[in-house]
Amino acid sequence: MEITRDIRYIGVNDHQIDLFEGQYVVPRGMAYNSYLILDEKIAVMDTVEEGFTHAWIEKLTVALGGRQPDYLIVQHMEPDHSGSIGCFMHTYPRATIVASAKAFAMMKNFYGEEYEDRRIVAGEGDSLSLGRHTLTFLAAPMVHWPEVIVSYDAADKVLFSADAFGKFGALDVEDPEGWACEARRYYFGIVGKYGAQVQALLKKAANLEIAAICPTHGPVLRGDLSYYLNLYDVWSSYGVESEGVCIAYTSVYGHTKAAAELLAEKLSARGCPKVAVTDLARDDMPEAVEDAFRYGKLVLATTTYNMDVFPPMREFIKHLTERNYQNRTVALIENGSWAPAAAKGMTALLEGCKNLTFVENSVRILSALNEESTARLEALAAELWP
Amino acid sequence: MKYVCSVCGWVYDEEAGAPEVNVAPGTKFEDLPEGFVCLLCGAEKEAFTKED
Repeated sequence: MEITRDIRYIGVNDHQIDLFEGQYVVPRGMAYNSYLILDEKIAVMDTVEEGFTHAWIEKLTVALGGRQPDYLIVQHMEPDHSGSIGCFMHTYPRATIVASAKAFAMMKNFYGEEYEDRRIVAGEGDSLSLGRHTLTFLAAPMVHWPEVIVSYDAADKVLFSADAFGKFGALDVEDPEGWACEARRYYFGIVGKYGAQVQALLKKAANLEIAAICPTHGPVLRGDLSYYLNLYDVWSSYGVESEGVCIAYTSVYGHTKAAAELLAEKLSARGCPKVAVTDLARDDMPEAVEDAFRYGKLVLATTTYNMDVFPPMREFIKHLTERNYQNRTVALIENGSWAPAAAKGMTALLEGCKNLTFVENSVRILSALNEESTARLEALAAELWP
Repeated sequence: MKYVCSVCGWVYDEEAGAPEVNVAPGTKFEDLPEGFVCLLCGAEKEAFTKED
């Protein structure tokens, strides 16, 4: 597949994977993207996960059309991209590998090799001429690993962005939700903690004229790139993307769930454009994390368990705090049948977060909603959506 | 005393200093030069916390 006249797509689609990164359900599979730049010299951008080495080398061979590759650019050492380095370097003994110093140190740890005799260590701003195309390397530390570099081709104005701007889902199936949904779940799951580092990368990218973004997952991005850049700006600055409320609950016998659903009804009745309700024990937790970051208001409704917060809620809050959850309004609903302590527990878990506004009208349920707690729920709805 | 980068986990050990960037062994965290960043990920001094 042609990206531009000289740039070919040679990535693969994985429909066998059960959990991406060992945790993310990916109902539409996963793409591992790799690209080939055919110029006077030939460069290969990244490799693919080791289960697809054979398919990738086949695609590469066809795309090379009898020529030999000169360079392998390793932008990212995560095994879903670095898994075929060894096979490539063995297959092409005259090729030179290009990566950051930190990448070579990781290469030694992962694969036992760092190719001291045929490598180029890429530093910030270094460039590599292929002929008409010149690749300039930019460090992108912690997007989402420390060794990551991205590469800019000035000739075709292409940014090879490593995992930035990626998305779940293979490229041979249509995503009926479009780009943003799975790109957002991917972003907050994998990159969410590194907002400041993504902001730094966006600043560097703002100086470049970019016609296309070629990430290592998800589709090539073309056309009006401001759509994607704006979303990344909002996400990485922990801004609120959409108006609405996320209600994340856990419920053992349905009473807390009933409260969550009643609150959702009341919010909708008050004109809230979007209420995203999620059962933390049963629904996809990365999806819940995505919703918590997407909306400006978060309701946490949970049961007291072992004098603490019910486990899936504890896990969920930890996912948020370790990704630097901030700048939002939070409401707490706790349930307890003898000594409710969940609200106190949730408050403690959220302690380190910057700029969280806690609502006045938190709600305490004693086993099941009664007149009093229902009235509190009504007040909460009014406070959340005046 | 050791200080941990909250972004990537890299540790600045005052005893060891950071000779790679001309910071002598024994240099206290507070005395690190202006513009000192995490050697692994580039995060600023503010991102560091004291290791317990």
